[in-house]
Amino acid sequence: MNSATKPLWPILLGASLLLTAVSVVHAAPSEQQWQSLNQSLVEEHILPRYRALQHSSAELAASTTALCHQPESVQLENAQEDFQQTMDAWQEVQHIQFGPIETLMRNFSMQFWPDKKNLIGKQLNLLLQQQNPDTLNVEYLYRASIGVKGLPALERLLFTSSVHQLANNSYRCQLSQTIAAYIAINSQATLDEWNNGYSDSLSSAGSQNSYYDSHQEAAVDMMKSLIEPIEAIRDQKILRPLGGGQVRPKRSESWRSQRSLRNIQLNIASIRHLYSGTTNSVDSLLRKQGRGPQADNINALFNRIEQQLKTVQTPLVTSLYQPETVDQLRQISDALQQLDRGLSAEMLTLNIQLGFNSRDGD
Amino acid sequence: MEINRRHFCQILGSAVLLPSLTLAADDASRSAKPKFASAAKDSAGQFHLYLIGQQGEVMLDHLLPGRAHHTEVHPQLPLLACIARRPGSFIDLVDYREQRLVKRIIAGSGRHFFGHGIFSDDGRWLITTENEISSGQGRVVIRALEANYPIIADYPSDGIGPHELVQQPGSPVLIVANGGIHTHPDHGREKLNLDHMQPSLLRLNILTGKRLEQQQLPAHLHQLSIRHIDTNQQGTTVIALQYQGDKGHNLPLVAVHHPGQPIELLRAPPAVNLAMKGYCGSARFDHSGRFAAVSAPRGDLISFWDLHENRFISSIKSRDGCGLAATGNSTEFIISAGTGRCLRHNLQRGTTVRLPSTIATAWDNHLATLPL
Repeated sequence: MNSATKPLWPILLGASLLLTAVSVVHAAPSEQQWQSLNQSLVEEHILPRYRALQHSSAELAASTTALCHQPESVQLENAQEDFQQTMDAWQEVQHIQFGPIETLMRNFSMQFWPDKKNLIGKQLNLLLQQQNPDTLNVEYLYRASIGVKGLPALERLLFTSSVHQLANNSYRCQLSQTIAAYIAINSQATLDEWNNGYSDSLSSAGSQNSYYDSHQEAAVDMMKSLIEPIEAIRDQKILRPLGGGQVRPKRSESWRSQRSLRNIQLNIASIRHLYSGTTNSVDSLLRKQGRGPQADNINALFNRIEQQLKTVQTPLVTSLYQPETVDQLRQISDALQQLDRGLSAEMLTLNIQLGFNSRDGD
Repeated sequence: MEINRRHFCQILGSAVLLPSLTLAADDASRSAKPKFASAAKDSAGQFHLYLIGQQGEVMLDHLLPGRAHHTEVHPQLPLLACIARRPGSFIDLVDYREQRLVKRIIAGSGRHFFGHGIFSDDGRWLITTENEISSGQGRVVIRALEANYPIIADYPSDGIGPHELVQQPGSPVLIVANGGIHTHPDHGREKLNLDHMQPSLLRLNILTGKRLEQQQLPAHLHQLSIRHIDTNQQGTTVIALQYQGDKGHNLPLVAVHHPGQPIELLRAPPAVNLAMKGYCGSARFDHSGRFAAVSAPRGDLISFWDLHENRFISSIKSRDGCGLAATGNSTEFIISAGTGRCLRHNLQRGTTVRLPSTIATAWDNHLATLPL
């Protein structure tokens, strides 16, 4: 190792040549383009969805209160219907996993799922056994286990209780009412924080007050919301219930309210809206980059998945036992994988790095 | 490089010019000091080992045969070791002055690496964590630099999935993080034993292989994988944890170990702990050995800790930031990120500056600073 006397300039020359080679990148969208895209997505995609969630969860809180006042089957059906509306709204915004929904674990508080160790069942049963009146307020739920304060716990209470169990202002009914109130507060707070700060942080990316250093960096969060849920839907909502060789229908999301397939349909429709449904969109950006054929392919995959989903028999919790359903779900899973790959490949075109260490660290 | 230089000299065609060129180059070599080395992935998907200078210039670009993880700088020689990540089987040893691959070590039959290896502080040995694939048991393997890297010791790590290892400075003590996660190359990177994993921290005498101490977390925290560690002069070890259980449990993700005592979990403020998303990627002490940085790439943040007082100090944002290294100044760290961005943060002054950069690349999990 007597190399200390060697001149270093060949290294420097080599380095500068290399620099020229490495710095040739795809013509990526400009900051202006990213800003326009982000603005469209916030105004036309994200905010309307959080407004819908706020609205439906407020209705749900009202109808569970009405149920406890007047525990009759009409009121129970109303509460169940409002639960369905709220779950619709949540499924349409479940893919947005950044910003205020992350604050204080709101996303997990809304829906702790998948619940591999039946934490929800255990915690809920404990509460129902103890019937401690101190647990019947929203302040208690703030501190309570993640399992008992969200939509899955409320689903159990509303879809597995008889009118009789909910009568006489029972603990069970009041707990439902409290959880519904908590969900409504969470939804309202998420919307409020988007309106009073987070939207501005996105639109002012690069400024001192923004969480983001650039509009492109803000777009990374948008693109993660577009792509990452596809794998999660495939893994958690389709492959897990399909199981290894034996189907596991009760691993399906929302099986008690018989809406497992509807959840997936809403997810895909919403992700598609994020991709191409706004004034400035990822789809239009790709076409401007000369990636029309690739954008067409992505649209074709969305079409295929939506069509395939329409043919699946519901509810999944029973239809999963049919080999035909299993075949259909496997095909949907394959198409989702293609969609994931197709979209991921275009991130290179757009010069978007979704995350290296965060997504594939060790 | 040699060819380029010879070619260049022929073009100049004059031996008279050479001495002055050499002089100029010496000036350049004095001003161009290497700053850090790290593995990276380029936009075409290829993996490199880079050595980066003070001005962000590329001083070494070595193409790797696959994805690596940790890069280790030899304490005396101009030598870098870049270790394949799990379940890879290469270690590239590169002389950065001569710009050449000195040696490519391939893991022994039935073995693979876990992405981490170190040079002993006397510079004589290369020590790695390895998987004995047939048994799934972790090993700690020592190769001597002298005589072309023969294996001179092969110790059990007393656990599954050993990951990072560090030497307590100036002592024959090696600290090994047994991550506890069983993987098998036939199943890629799939985790095979999450319900039964038993991570541990091992202190081992390098010379004898004798176990000095082994610590585990309490049984109900067995899914907190002990993966990345650093140790100071006193043998205080800072631990960066990765939670393998259900998302939504807000468990502590940083811990400290003092020799002879149980592992102590450290809590960040709840909002910071939540933001770390159950996953820390790297831990490093500063130059003084009192302060430590811990990265949380999924949460885009770096947290800083005072290990004299066992308390959280502060955190900063670093998108996809993971690699950490101490600079020669106390309370100062370099942070590298998958976005290609590098930061220097001085804890005492509270300043964060972006380092100059001349390439677009995704920095991999760990980086190493070079002694100046």
